[in-house]
Amino acid sequence: MYGFHARLLHIDLTAQAYDWRDIEEARLQAFLGGIGLGTSLLYDFTPPDIEPFSPQNPLIFTSAPLVGTGLTTTAKYAVVTKSPLTGFIADSLSSSFFALELKRTGLDAIVVTGRAAQPIYLWITDNTVEFRDAGRLWGKSPQEAEEAIRAALQDSEIRIAAIGQAGENRVRFATLSNEGRHAGRGGIGAVFGSKNLKAVALRGHHPTSVADKAGVEKIARTLRERSVGPETAKYREIGTVANLSVFNRLGSLPTRNFQHPTFSHADALSGETLVANSFSRVHGCASCTIRCERLFRSLSGDEQRLEYETLFALGPLCGIEQPEDVLHAARLCDQYGLDTISTGGTLAWAMECAEKGLLPEARDAGLTFGNAAAALTTIADIANRKGLGELLAEGSRRAAAQIGTAAELFAIQVKGMELPGYEPRSLKTMALGLAVSPRGACHNRSGAYEADFSGQVDRLQADAGRGALVMASEDFAAVLDSLIVCKFLRKCFDDFYSEAAFLLSHVTGWQFSSTDLKRVGDRINTLKKLFNMRAGWQPSDDWLPPRLLNEPLSSGVAQGVRLTPDELRIMIQGYYEARGWDRDGFVSEGKKIELGL
Amino acid sequence: MGIQSPNTDLSAVILAGGKSSRMGKAKALLPFDGKPLISHLVDRLAERFADIVVVAAPDQTLPVLPVTVVSDEVAHQGPVGGICYGLQAIRGTVAFVTSCDVAFLQLPLIEYLMSLLKNYDVVVPFWQERLQPLHAVYRQSVIPRLQEQLARKRLRPIFLYDTVPTRKVSPEEIKRFDPEGLSFLNMNTEADYYDALARWRTLYPPISCTVELFGVARLKANTAQVPLVLRAEAKLQDALAALAAACPQLVGPVLSSDTVGSPALLSGYACNINGKHFIKDAHTPIQAGDSLLILSSDAGG
Repeated sequence: MYGFHARLLHIDLTAQAYDWRDIEEARLQAFLGGIGLGTSLLYDFTPPDIEPFSPQNPLIFTSAPLVGTGLTTTAKYAVVTKSPLTGFIADSLSSSFFALELKRTGLDAIVVTGRAAQPIYLWITDNTVEFRDAGRLWGKSPQEAEEAIRAALQDSEIRIAAIGQAGENRVRFATLSNEGRHAGRGGIGAVFGSKNLKAVALRGHHPTSVADKAGVEKIARTLRERSVGPETAKYREIGTVANLSVFNRLGSLPTRNFQHPTFSHADALSGETLVANSFSRVHGCASCTIRCERLFRSLSGDEQRLEYETLFALGPLCGIEQPEDVLHAARLCDQYGLDTISTGGTLAWAMECAEKGLLPEARDAGLTFGNAAAALTTIADIANRKGLGELLAEGSRRAAAQIGTAAELFAIQVKGMELPGYEPRSLKTMALGLAVSPRGACHNRSGAYEADFSGQVDRLQADAGRGALVMASEDFAAVLDSLIVCKFLRKCFDDFYSEAAFLLSHVTGWQFSSTDLKRVGDRINTLKKLFNMRAGWQPSDDWLPPRLLNEPLSSGVAQGVRLTPDELRIMIQGYYEARGWDRDGFVSEGKKIELGL
Repeated sequence: MGIQSPNTDLSAVILAGGKSSRMGKAKALLPFDGKPLISHLVDRLAERFADIVVVAAPDQTLPVLPVTVVSDEVAHQGPVGGICYGLQAIRGTVAFVTSCDVAFLQLPLIEYLMSLLKNYDVVVPFWQERLQPLHAVYRQSVIPRLQEQLARKRLRPIFLYDTVPTRKVSPEEIKRFDPEGLSFLNMNTEADYYDALARWRTLYPPISCTVELFGVARLKANTAQVPLVLRAEAKLQDALAALAAACPQLVGPVLSSDTVGSPALLSGYACNINGKHFIKDAHTPIQAGDSLLILSSDAGG
């Protein structure tokens, strides 16, 4: 088979056993790889009603057809599991050399179940799996673990994904890291920890064969050329941190736990200022011509990666004003293996509760908006589940439920996942995207903000038509994430579905049309919903937290603008209608049949 | 002024090939409101006419214009020759004809003249005791009559009006749309030109606005804000042209460097007015005090 190996590796940590299994071609055609294949395998490998920390919860790595073909921005992999943060699907992407190595092991997927008796790491090659003792690695940062494993295996070419202390301690928003990149959202690192699994190390030698090498090379050349044009200049010259000043100007920068949509110190934290004052170097993933990553240098001389979401969450969201403090907080999150968005969101919740007298422990620790020192201490405590950190390691929704109703009003989350840096009241299409996303408040599985930021719609108004826009955005993202192509290449296509179908056909030898590909997107998102339904999804899960529906925006160009429950309800109805689901958002038998599910 | 789409059936003809003897220099190139007078006129007419024909003298120098340029076959035959060659080159069957030395064209009056055509071949205003043949509407069907006039050296347009059905428009009608008759204020001498400039500045004082640069644009220009002074009734395209002049480093990476028309934002960039509306139409009017945000079209991510 071209583009795929049509093979998965199943590993049972409890029995320390493994076997290779074929993956049916029909499954690959229906779901491609990446997020799509991961969703499909998750649905089949997850027994109903299991807890996310149950040994039976599968941890699934997937590769994708374009990985290993040399196409720019395609060195990515997906990790899928049942999220300990939301109880629903967690599907995360990460990238770079680990992704290429996964494909080289001759696998399209690795499914890990069970729980090791002691901390271990997996050493996987073309034909073997070793369960190796990770006792000495426990307590190390992902970066330290990578180095230690590489040294122990005496092979500089192996690639490793590992968790930090946060994952070991089952912090519900712990990440999995490789080469400084993270499968960030949904607590995948905590599921690793629950399995006593510190890391996965890979080394393989299988090439990716494609059906039409010359054809693929031609497309690769075109995409490479486009990837360095004006469409990607933002990513190539500043990185995603460029968003902060724009969002602030547009009244869309969540500040102090979403109490304000603008931040008085936005200039000091802007990407433009960071590039001017603190720039260290550019970095890029393997096989990428865009190279969006920016490393900044702190006053202590340390280099730190910074993305917009990290900058927003550890800066304005917590009222933290100094770039130095944000860089420090980001470094801690990377070292412990914490999702920066949920860390910032949970800290901001605690800060507001402290200021409102709902969390004396936090108040006593000085954990109030803008207190960077207290925030830094608390980040370490979260990773170690120490003191107040024990509560905050549960995420804002669970923590608030323990404190009481008043505190729940300040938990800015959807399905338990803290919101990314997009103010829903001034980005109403995105508001819908955040409310209905299967993995919780997410800006990656839906790019609904694009409609708001392009003038395609009036971003301050809501209507039922947003449903179709959100569906289109989710399906587009699902296809990108299953091929896999980085979303930062998205503006480089003239007609994405036609060009992607053409590309996929040349890689796999299958005859794929743009209509087929659109259906794949719809199918993936509908299966995610089916997974969530089986995990107990109810219509009330597709909703936004009360602050966003009760309080008007307090400042900026959209001051006074509200998002009403009726507006959200109308948009949600429009979304269910566009998806062909029933009025309450459940997937009907007819729809399942239509999509071959 | 609202934005209307140019009408594709209607044409405009600008006679630019006059001798300009009293002015002493080419009228079409006189600087007016920041650009050559002919460009100013073309931009104004382009708001309503998709098809614009400029009739020039052979070898006449003109700026680059998004119009059809035709030359007088025989130079300096007066307006009859110009009207005749212009009508031959239009895409439709009807044209509004004007000279190139008027700066104050009033589109509502032109609309009104067009609306009167019905069964006539010519609609010509009567203002200050004379007919105004170079602010009139003509059907293409009058070409043979004009050719006949040229052959017989009858070079005054008004002879035409005796031979074809002609609607003469009274001053009272004109005043409804243009009370002061600004439409007929042409420039024959340098004094006329300076009077017109002064009048323009009184009627249309320049407006100030600010361009706020974000991301790559800010890095390239090495500034976050660029104050601009634009002519009254300026459009987005005028603002971008002024921005290109103020920050030439933006031409290439952010603004297109096309020689025809105004610079435009490259595909990776977007414009937002006052943090509220994203605008794409180059003809979007700019108001005094506006802030134009230049940012990546890929916001988010």
